[in-house]
Amino acid sequence: MSKTVHITIDGKKITTTEGANLLQVAHDHGIQIPSLCYHKKLTPTGACRLCVTKIKGTNGLVMSCTVSVKEGMEVIAFDDELEETRKHTLDYLLAEHNDQYDGTYHDEFRQWVKHYKLDNIENRKYPNISRDLGFKSDDTSPVLTYDATKCIKCFRCIKACDEVQGKNVLSFSDRGITSYIIAGFDRWNESECDGCGECIQLCPTGAIVEKPHRDEIQMDKIEKKVITTCPYCGVGCQIELSVQGGKIVRSEGVEGVLPNDGRLCVKGRFGYDYVNSPERLKTPLIKKNGKFVEASWDEALDLIASEFTKIKEKYGNDALAGYASAKCTNEDNYLFQKFIRTVFGTNNIDYCTRLCHASTVTAMLKSIGDGAGSNSIEDFATTDCLFVTGNNIIETHPVTATYVKNGKYAGQKIIVCDPKWTPLVKYADIWLQPKIGTDIALLNGMIRVIITENLIDKDFIVKRVDRGIEAFEELKALVEKYTPEKTEEITSVPKEKMIAAARMYAKAETAMIATGMGMSQQVTGTNNVYSLINMMLITGQIGKERAGIDPPRGQNNVQGATDVGCSPIVYPGYIPVTNDDNRKRMAALWDVDFEDLSAKPGLTTVEIMHAAYDEKIKGIYIMGENPMVTDPDLNHTEEALKKMDFVVVQDIFHTETTPFADVILPATSFAEKDGTFVNSDRRVLRVRKAVEAPGEAREDWKIIVEIAERMGFKLGNYKNASEIFNEIAQAAPIMAGISYDRIERQGIQWPCPTKDHPGTSTLFLDKFNTPNGKGILNPVEHIPQTEKATKEFPFIMNSGRILYHYHTATMSRRNKALTDFANESYVLMNTGDVVKFGLNDGERVKVSSKQGDLETTLIASDQVAEGELFMPWHYSEARVNRLTRSDLDPFSKIAAFKLTACKVEKV
Amino acid sequence: MVSEKRIALKNIGKYNIKSIDEYIGIGGYNSVKKALKLKPLDIINTISDSKLRGRGGAGFPTGMKQQFTNQSAGIQKYIVCNADEGEPGTFKDRIIMEQDPHILIEGMIVAAYAIGASKGYIYVRGEYTDSIQALRIAVEQSYEKGFLGKNILNSGFDLDMEIKLGAGSYLCGEELTLLESLEGKRGYPRIKPPFPAEKGLFGKPTLINNVETFSHIPYIIENGAESYSVLGTEKSPGTKIFTISGDVNKPGFYEVEMGVTLRQLIFDFAGGIKDGKAFKAAVLGGAAGTFVNESVLDTPMGFDTLKEKGAVLGSGAIMVMSDERSIFDMTYSILKFFKHESCGKCVPCRVGTTQLMLMMDDALQNGTNRKDVLNKILRESEYMAKASLCPLGQSPIIPIRSLKQYFEDQF
Repeated sequence: MSKTVHITIDGKKITTTEGANLLQVAHDHGIQIPSLCYHKKLTPTGACRLCVTKIKGTNGLVMSCTVSVKEGMEVIAFDDELEETRKHTLDYLLAEHNDQYDGTYHDEFRQWVKHYKLDNIENRKYPNISRDLGFKSDDTSPVLTYDATKCIKCFRCIKACDEVQGKNVLSFSDRGITSYIIAGFDRWNESECDGCGECIQLCPTGAIVEKPHRDEIQMDKIEKKVITTCPYCGVGCQIELSVQGGKIVRSEGVEGVLPNDGRLCVKGRFGYDYVNSPERLKTPLIKKNGKFVEASWDEALDLIASEFTKIKEKYGNDALAGYASAKCTNEDNYLFQKFIRTVFGTNNIDYCTRLCHASTVTAMLKSIGDGAGSNSIEDFATTDCLFVTGNNIIETHPVTATYVKNGKYAGQKIIVCDPKWTPLVKYADIWLQPKIGTDIALLNGMIRVIITENLIDKDFIVKRVDRGIEAFEELKALVEKYTPEKTEEITSVPKEKMIAAARMYAKAETAMIATGMGMSQQVTGTNNVYSLINMMLITGQIGKERAGIDPPRGQNNVQGATDVGCSPIVYPGYIPVTNDDNRKRMAALWDVDFEDLSAKPGLTTVEIMHAAYDEKIKGIYIMGENPMVTDPDLNHTEEALKKMDFVVVQDIFHTETTPFADVILPATSFAEKDGTFVNSDRRVLRVRKAVEAPGEAREDWKIIVEIAERMGFKLGNYKNASEIFNEIAQAAPIMAGISYDRIERQGIQWPCPTKDHPGTSTLFLDKFNTPNGKGILNPVEHIPQTEKATKEFPFIMNSGRILYHYHTATMSRRNKALTDFANESYVLMNTGDVVKFGLNDGERVKVSSKQGDLETTLIASDQVAEGELFMPWHYSEARVNRLTRSDLDPFSKIAAFKLTACKVEKV
Repeated sequence: MVSEKRIALKNIGKYNIKSIDEYIGIGGYNSVKKALKLKPLDIINTISDSKLRGRGGAGFPTGMKQQFTNQSAGIQKYIVCNADEGEPGTFKDRIIMEQDPHILIEGMIVAAYAIGASKGYIYVRGEYTDSIQALRIAVEQSYEKGFLGKNILNSGFDLDMEIKLGAGSYLCGEELTLLESLEGKRGYPRIKPPFPAEKGLFGKPTLINNVETFSHIPYIIENGAESYSVLGTEKSPGTKIFTISGDVNKPGFYEVEMGVTLRQLIFDFAGGIKDGKAFKAAVLGGAAGTFVNESVLDTPMGFDTLKEKGAVLGSGAIMVMSDERSIFDMTYSILKFFKHESCGKCVPCRVGTTQLMLMMDDALQNGTNRKDVLNKILRESEYMAKASLCPLGQSPIIPIRSLKQYFEDQF
């Protein structure tokens, strides 16, 4: 524990901790010592020289940002000499500075200039030489401009890029007074800058400013700033939106609050323009004679109510289904599942979580009792060893990845397991590149090494694993045949690397696993994760701080939507629907008859489409989902949608799915409503309304309540989202202690059972959430894939995401900043294969599988192994899921997105 | 007439630098043989008792530096030789490295053993091609003979030695900037503290000394502390290499006991002022040094004696100016040098070195009163000295204050 010390600053007595930064201590106690180069997220630089102080017993002037406080320190922060020195320094800065201010950014430098009355040119002593220095600005980045004449060379941008984001793109060029910032070797657009804008956020002047809305932003015309949660991936970054003219004009990271502590990625900072897109849906649309015509809300809602009622009466409750949304709030989703269960009277509710982490959750629920990540985001920086498997974390969870990189620089070991090169490989100690679909063999091989070399945690196995040594012996027997040689034969991973990885993971003081779509989206998805958990349990790399398994969630509220019951098998809080007591409890809360709640598990996402194809499901209510991109085997999905009697799609844009709707309802985006999201580390985070919805668009939960009413059901008398959340807290014991007033400033991690519970940062410290509290080993065999490369289809297609786009790209492709970085579909093929098949880098190709085909551009790349392909799946014009199979993992019903036999031909 | 007393330069011209055998033949590496039989603390005590002070310019007691580094916790420690000789008018380290590279390696091995370092670096000025060549051969031969590498002379002590080249930055001769550069980073000064003895290279305890300093160690170990401490003056014992340049008849390097006077150095050793001109000024210690006039000619050369006169010993550089030289021009040249070498990290130095030049230009181009200009640059350099991050920005005050003291009338 840090020692408490007592210091004085200008006679003011301050109690603080030993070693704390003196400048920070002063600021924390309201003593505003001027400073520009210091930022509490960064290591001290000592460049701007404004924070000069005098310390008793020390000669000369001391920069307070470079001082660690000690007991009894006596500090003078303000006297005539210090103030004169500060003024002198500012005057110097002004001499090399272009101080024209266009009112578009917050200028810390300017504030101090004003404070010392140096805004009056008569008070300045030195001639301005900024024009003689020959600086040019760099306008080449899609998202920012660097103007060296406004740069005070404080190093904050460089350190933002290095120390916070771990990207190391920026540095100085030239020396002395003519030095200026460069990206990479020179120009921003030729560098590795990925546009996260951390440098913009930390720049204390106008040297680095964002491009989007530069022409319109005026600081004095900003009407309000609203703190909310980013609508993209599941990191749940806290953003502050600036609203001007009723429109979002800027997004900044919120400093000092988890999960992101001010950090953002390019999407979080520049991906908000879609909210104000002219293509937003503004009125309800009803399909008449094959064409959508505008309709009033009354007309649309009445039609929906009568059609759903008709289907229910004619075919029964289970002929209806609903797709909830990982992009909507908990409040929307909670009422949606309440609607499906009480108004439709079925458990046919699911959403695209089924297509991402269903297998992970299935395996985790069965073996450790919770499907959510066991750790907190900041643990990614402090764990000793990180095993990242099938997870392109730098591109898909960019802000979580910043913590990983922070950890790397502090000495963390990183193992990447991925058939495709990902940017994290650059930071990794070991990269395992197994053939697609051989993960279980690889993990069994690693487990065998761990057992053979006695790197197991026997004490943990005895105390915390179900059936202890007996279960362990079964696992040991099963993995016996996965010798290093055999494992190499199956996976093609050199045995030395596999052995080194096993040792690194097992020997680490603490180790965490980040597992992604590469593991989950296979027909063996659940078994893949079982083998991961097996390795984790026998090494005791869970049940302690900074250890465990974390599936970073792909969408902003994919965690929350399941937490609040958008699942065919569980009620809010993971309470099984099949248990009578549970049904009784929910019936009481929802004020419905117990018998009216279906005890029959519902169908899952892909099963719903199969059932629709088979004409068993006749109507569907789709809220903020886009199955015509997300589902596997889209040609089949398309047929299924066409076969249904009645399809309602509620969304903010026309999507690939809306053409198949009978009624389209205009809903609100994240920026137009209040509510909550739950992020990947189980943090319940506030979403706040920043702008008005366009046209007649309505909040999702209000639409749901309206439809229910018109079908003769009352869902509740909710005045606002907060009241809905209070009901969620009653329904889901994991959130029982949470309410809006508690998460006003910072989110709380569930489980949070009571009002005075602080939330849970690490799961399973004392016990697992299984019936007997113990972790369960599930030994699994590697089974050769049924889908194989053939003469006709010689490649195995893998798919995934890229940094600049998100999910079906409905949102991300409506932001110029993001499309400027990336806007074209491509397929990666190993350079050797390109030559072998007589193809050319950069040419248009037709990619086809048994299921379908598409056209895209071929890129020769050694990021993929020979015989394998990779495509980003965001692009509507080249939908990878036209190719994929709808074969399912038998346990979780996830589809095999990651493994499709394909061929590639010239167009 | 005083004569030279060669300690650091004791082997110059006595052996073929490409032959370690010849070096061993004249007693080379004897100090290593002796030291490895002693306890590290005994070596440190010997160095402390010799009262050797750092020859890079600051004059910090070498034994004390060794002691701090020895006491710092940590298994991995480094020893670094600052051979990035860049102070204008200084070429003493170059002479040692070119003409007796082994003495430096020998001194470093002893010091490394004393502090417990297992890895040494010689950070040598990149333009010193002959020094680099000589050192490379010497290090290689030293490995071959088992003075470097594993288990040196069966003592159980290991030391590896690597030569790293500077890339032309004056500032990289500043020890913390040098360490930054040695780590592969851009040459920016670090915040001090921590000092290298506590957290130096790669964050580990590091002993960093100048070439000349290391080169005194073999003599001290072989001959005992007293044999050294009796030389020179009480507060500045031992010898010093002076490099004399400018308007003298015999420019060159001279290793002399401390306490020698400037007059002796200029008139006895360097043969007096060229072309029968009169002495006007000497710049002692390079750009970050001081201008002195004839009133200092009889002051004994030493860290403290010169300080009393408002002057510095610095690196031992003496640039002599005859009565035909312009003090203003020399000042201009020195300030231009600082502007050129300022790294730009901190505001006072980055902008200040430019402001000083603007003020000098004002006098040159607009005929502004030069005495006013001197007062203005003094004021600016005082602020720079107070507020700058590293010794570079704190340096212009040194020559400027001496100008005010000795040459206000000449300005």
